Amino acid sequence: MITDTTPAPAPAAAAPATPPSPSPSRQGRRSPAAERRRRRAAEVWREFSRHRSGLIGLAGLLIVVALALLAPVLAPSTLLLATEATLPPNQPPSAEAPLGTDPAGRSVLVMLLWGARISLLVGFAATAVSMVIGTTVGMAAGHFRGFGQSALLRVIDFFLVLPSLVLAIVLSTVLERGVFTIVIAIGVTSWAATARLVRSQTLTVEARPYIERAWALGAGHAHVLGRHVLPAVLPLVLANTTLTVGSAIIAESTLAFLGLGDPTQVSWGTMLKTALDTGAATAGYWWYVLPPGLAIVLVVLCFTLVGRALEAVVNPTLRSR
Amino acid sequence: MPTLEFDDVRIAYRTAGDDGRPVLRNAVDGVSLVLEPGGTLGLAGESGCGKSTLAMSVLRLLPSNAEVSGAIRFGGEDVTAMRWGRLRAVRWAEAAIVFQGAMHSLNPVQRVSTQIGEALLQHAASDYRDRARRTERITELLALVDLPAEKADAYPHELSGGQKQRVMIAMALACDPELIIADEPTTALDVIVQAQVLEVLTGLVRERGLSLLLISHDLSVLAATCDRICVMQHGRVVEEGPARQVMADPQHPHTQALAAAFPEVGDPDSRLRLPGYTAPRPAVVPGSDDAARAGHAGPGASPGEVVVAADGLTVRYQGRGGPVTAVDDVSLECRAGEIVALVGQSGSGKTTLARSILGLQRPTSGAVRFRGQPLPTRRKELLAFRRAVQFVLQDPSAALNPRHTVYEAVAEGPRLHGLGGDEEEIVARALAAAELSPPERFFGAIPQELSGGQRQRVVIAGALALEPSFLVADEPVASLDASVRGEILALFLRLKHELGLGALVITHDLGLAWNIADRVAVMHRGRIVEEGTAEQVLLDPQHDYTRNLLSVVPSALAADRA
Repeated sequence: MITDTTPAPAPAAAAPATPPSPSPSRQGRRSPAAERRRRRAAEVWREFSRHRSGLIGLAGLLIVVALALLAPVLAPSTLLLATEATLPPNQPPSAEAPLGTDPAGRSVLVMLLWGARISLLVGFAATAVSMVIGTTVGMAAGHFRGFGQSALLRVIDFFLVLPSLVLAIVLSTVLERGVFTIVIAIGVTSWAATARLVRSQTLTVEARPYIERAWALGAGHAHVLGRHVLPAVLPLVLANTTLTVGSAIIAESTLAFLGLGDPTQVSWGTMLKTALDTGAATAGYWWYVLPPGLAIVLVVLCFTLVGRALEAVVNPTLRSR
Repeated sequence: MPTLEFDDVRIAYRTAGDDGRPVLRNAVDGVSLVLEPGGTLGLAGESGCGKSTLAMSVLRLLPSNAEVSGAIRFGGEDVTAMRWGRLRAVRWAEAAIVFQGAMHSLNPVQRVSTQIGEALLQHAASDYRDRARRTERITELLALVDLPAEKADAYPHELSGGQKQRVMIAMALACDPELIIADEPTTALDVIVQAQVLEVLTGLVRERGLSLLLISHDLSVLAATCDRICVMQHGRVVEEGPARQVMADPQHPHTQALAAAFPEVGDPDSRLRLPGYTAPRPAVVPGSDDAARAGHAGPGASPGEVVVAADGLTVRYQGRGGPVTAVDDVSLECRAGEIVALVGQSGSGKTTLARSILGLQRPTSGAVRFRGQPLPTRRKELLAFRRAVQFVLQDPSAALNPRHTVYEAVAEGPRLHGLGGDEEEIVARALAAAELSPPERFFGAIPQELSGGQRQRVVIAGALALEPSFLVADEPVASLDASVRGEILALFLRLKHELGLGALVITHDLGLAWNIADRVAVMHRGRIVEEGTAEQVLLDPQHDYTRNLLSVVPSALAADRA
């Protein structure tokens, strides 16, 4: 009975819920914004594609990311187990192991592939942490005045002058060992420069008259920061992000090399550390030392190339240089 | 032989079109002009009419994508055919340019003497290799532009705007040129300084027999300085003739519009009357007693309640050389349905006063009252005030977020105040009230796609969307073209009469006050020195400063008197 009666009012209720007139016009309003965004994206891409070095960097990155993602398909993870290793240790490059084997008899190429996963993961995650902290603190330090601002600035200064490696070492020894700890340690120590950058951009944006107009319209802090400052700061942050990923990867390798990484996971840094610990580096087994080292250099270089090109696109004043 | 002769000059810029292919855009389209030795020629027109392009072509200072055809003869010699070495010799030594915006044309890290000396060393090195001779010449040049010799040791930031502009003129004079091209030399300056700079220029023309090519959008500036005026529109000369004739009896509609945009203070034809809108009011004989009340007497526009009032307001800044009092014990009442013009030079504290009245600047002492109550400091309690009192900023290009569409910019206020109802309708109504129609056409536009006048209308629409009872406008037309200026001012008048909106209009332009204001307050060094109805203050000024301000307004009448 109940189910019989309910359908009757339902169409009546549905009719006013979908008023025909506002929705097309609302779409008509939103679509130019979407259209403009798409045009802007196309413009950025066109500008970016003019930088040959940026394109090379982007291509390199796409290849590395694809290889890292496909690692389980290309080389099953069982190949990483020292107990399953069938090849002799410290073998120079050959047909079975194109980059030779490590002291445990594992293929260096397989380790390199799997290492890329951890290195990239830590690089991206640590950068995300660093960017979120840096943007938030930077915007706050640029926006608020008085005591809050000076307090924030001193905090930024503290993290700027602090030897970040030492802090990261301390953090990763105090916290539980693992990839997550490394991410936190790198993220927490590398945001200060971003914060400074974002702060200066916030200051320039806030000097614009349209901010004054927003205040006069009755805007609060959240509105000014969210609607006006953040969209203006974001392009700069994005360009900065690509540059930071590179240094985060280096920081991860350094920490892993110093023995603070996750010993159960293969990363480029742990490979270098094992090479040193087992004497491969001093014994002249170059095939174990060079590949991870070169991989780090290449990926960081790619990120730098992309970052520089993006920076030039976002900041037109750099274009002529 | 004329100093300068343009013979059917055409200049086009090669730019990328919408489809990316190069397109030629005509900036100057067949201009022929002659400037005789010792003559002064004024070039008038709105932004984009090609007047600066034409002036820059004389010294071949155009960007490389410009294509010039026709002949530009300087002293009988074709500039377009000059060899590079000859051109360098002509630049500065024979023809010099005073650029627009002296603030940015001087090197901020060099002393004035070094910068003037540079021109001397570049073009007359043999005469001025000796330091003492150079110093002597620099002192002489500074004296020519009425600057004391000590200013030679000053850095640009230690000089005022007018002093910087005079340094630029001194630099232009350094090598005794035959021709000076001045591109909007006084645009960024206020009336008093403008008068000083123009006086220096006309004096030099008179005493040294220079030829002067003066570019300005302001016909009255040209009328006060030049013998002949040439009006340009869309790259063509639409009218040319003796200054007095062009001013008194303009033939071309564009010249008439330009001339009407800069009203004479005291001219009854421009009082509360603008091209496009005339305030409804009873017929009064200007100058009679009725005229003084005319502003208040318009039907449906009698001033209402006091919306905001400054009460003994003082604002002090911590400046470098000790505290600076920007606003000094100012009391001012602003009513609904009444336009108050706050007039003064730059640096007189007008803008600080406006910001304090808007609650954007905390006063050192005194108070701002909103409907009789002191302004609350908490944001939540301020909301009612923010709805009622709105702000229109000086430069509409900067006052709109370049990333936001017109719709978003206008809807910002209603969203902040959580106004109910159909947002789209509110926005459409506000745009229509600001005379942007049909409103739907502007919803998706971004500021960059609009003209200056349209942008200012969007700013005004953003204020109107909240249905305020009072507007504070800081130099609302200072950065707009002459014809647009009249339209925006007419909009203020219309809003007053049709919506009963009051306005505090801050301006350095006395003609604007005469155009639209009911009451005028004159501000000088942080104090209001004179206040009264527009007729009282502008026609019968009591304070010396007001008289001084009125006396320097360039006008055709003044030119007649001279």
